[in-house]
Amino acid sequence: MTAVWSASYRRIVRSAFATVPLYRERWALDGREDPVVVPGKRGTDGGALGAGEMARKRVDLVPLAGGSAEFDPCRGLGPVLADARPAGRGTVVAVLDPAIRRPPADLPRGVRGCWLDSEALPPAAMAELVSTLRRNGKVIAVGPDKTLGMLTAALPEDVAARVGAVPQRRLDELDGGPFGVLHDPALGYLGAFRDCGRWHVDWRNVFVRATSGGLAFTVLTQRSPRLVDILIAGGVRGRVEPCPRHGTPVVLT
Amino acid sequence: MRPGNPPSPGTVPLSVEILDPRSAPEPEGWVNFLSHQRLQPVWDYELLRLEAWLARNPPVLAVIRDGSRPVGALSVMVCRTWREQAFAPAPSGRTKALRPRWAEVYLPLLSGYPACVFAASLSTEERRDALRLFERELRRYLGAGLLGVVYRAMTAELVPAIDGPYRMSREIDPIAVLANRFSTFEDWSGTLAPEIRETLREVAADLDTTAGTGRRDLDAHELAALLNEHRARQDRRAWGQGQRARAGGLHMDTRSPIPPAYLDTFVRRSDVITRTYRDARGKLLAFNTMIDHPDSPAIHHWAALSGMDGGRRNLYVDCYAHGVRHMIERGLPELTAGRALLGNKTALGFGTRELSSVAVPKPVLGR
Repeated sequence: MTAVWSASYRRIVRSAFATVPLYRERWALDGREDPVVVPGKRGTDGGALGAGEMARKRVDLVPLAGGSAEFDPCRGLGPVLADARPAGRGTVVAVLDPAIRRPPADLPRGVRGCWLDSEALPPAAMAELVSTLRRNGKVIAVGPDKTLGMLTAALPEDVAARVGAVPQRRLDELDGGPFGVLHDPALGYLGAFRDCGRWHVDWRNVFVRATSGGLAFTVLTQRSPRLVDILIAGGVRGRVEPCPRHGTPVVLT
Repeated sequence: MRPGNPPSPGTVPLSVEILDPRSAPEPEGWVNFLSHQRLQPVWDYELLRLEAWLARNPPVLAVIRDGSRPVGALSVMVCRTWREQAFAPAPSGRTKALRPRWAEVYLPLLSGYPACVFAASLSTEERRDALRLFERELRRYLGAGLLGVVYRAMTAELVPAIDGPYRMSREIDPIAVLANRFSTFEDWSGTLAPEIRETLREVAADLDTTAGTGRRDLDAHELAALLNEHRARQDRRAWGQGQRARAGGLHMDTRSPIPPAYLDTFVRRSDVITRTYRDARGKLLAFNTMIDHPDSPAIHHWAALSGMDGGRRNLYVDCYAHGVRHMIERGLPELTAGRALLGNKTALGFGTRELSSVAVPKPVLGR
């Protein structure tokens, strides 16, 4: 699995070097490592970029052939939720992060998603959540602790406890679960806390490697804006190891 | 150094060295040649290196030598594509390829000036021989896939040395040139139409304008983003009006976006004046770079926000006026202003200087 995972990453690095202005400029002039793209140039922090610089220069994350320069902070929720708290058919997934402001687009078929403004929870949406819960349906709420608390406080007591809360965590605030998803405002959802008690990377869509600047994340499946080797949450030192139970990559910070 | 053909009687013993600025060190004698020929800053080897790394069709530099002394140079884009949206592969040590490629002797970042320069001491005949030698060396350097060479934006002085049988020559959009026939700035402004004078008085009066050489206070990424957006908008308009060359309906554009790293180095130069226009909130509305050259200063990059994005119409008039003032006050012989939007420049008193392109297909390369 690791070899396939690394091969996907190397393919994305080669493609980014060939087509995306920001990576071309950074890696051609300064260099990078693992893989090295210009012999003799190894770059700073292995060629990884700080999240602030990436956000400031996002117009140059668009490949030469064109594409969107907008980040999708809701990207990847579907795959990570399958690990964090699986949603079956008929489940309603409510995203409550005020910074996201868009519904998830990659939930499994049969799962409904919405974004709710936690400051002004809309009555119609709340009625639908209550109705789903009273019909023994499943509601999963994803967001920071504060907004999850606001949602449960606004629900009737008899159903509030049945909301499946999935707190989202930044890389520098990973905790011991029992539920959670790893989130970044630009890269979207990157991993989940699983039943083994570890923070798993969504390895089908995300690659992560340790650099001298911290853990650098790459979104393997997004064409534009291309997100490669980004030091999220200000650069957090850590390791990437295979999970002893599942065999897939986990991050240890 | 790659030796040329042995000299025959009546020809000069020239040789041609072809270098990839991405991997080759600066050629010997290059700085002296730049200074003696008073070349524009785009010929600076570091800028060529940056341009080459960050281009779809990167330039190589051909240096023509008389003995060890450079007497001529060509900046040559090695073009693999006008469509593929990818940067050129990194240099691998192998320069030859069977893949079809063509070469453009062209300065994509200063398109009104020829990418071919010679020492004044070389006669037309010697230049002709040097160019034929260059073509043979380029064919050897790039291999069998070379389809031909296009000399773009050549001045009337150079065309006789390039042209010949089975070579196709045609005139292209000229460069705008304002000859300095003025004693004072008011002499020039007095020649303008009243509405342009009115624009000149008012257009930038309330803006924060900063200008200077060697600017280190600028965010090159901000400049590049504005410039590339401006250029894309201008290209869309130009292509919409059929102004750019097309073949079979294709947009034959071999240029690349202008990279921030290039601009960053460029605006820090002591011979480049950068003027920025910001509104009261500090938003960059427009900027211009002007090459402060002793013989032929050039209004170089100009980029402005579109009206839809909060830009201000006709701000370029202020920029051009500052360029003209600079020329007059320094007693410089002329001011050039690129090849686009000639109508606007004519209204500011600019004339034109004709330019030609010469295409040399593979069978006649070096002949």
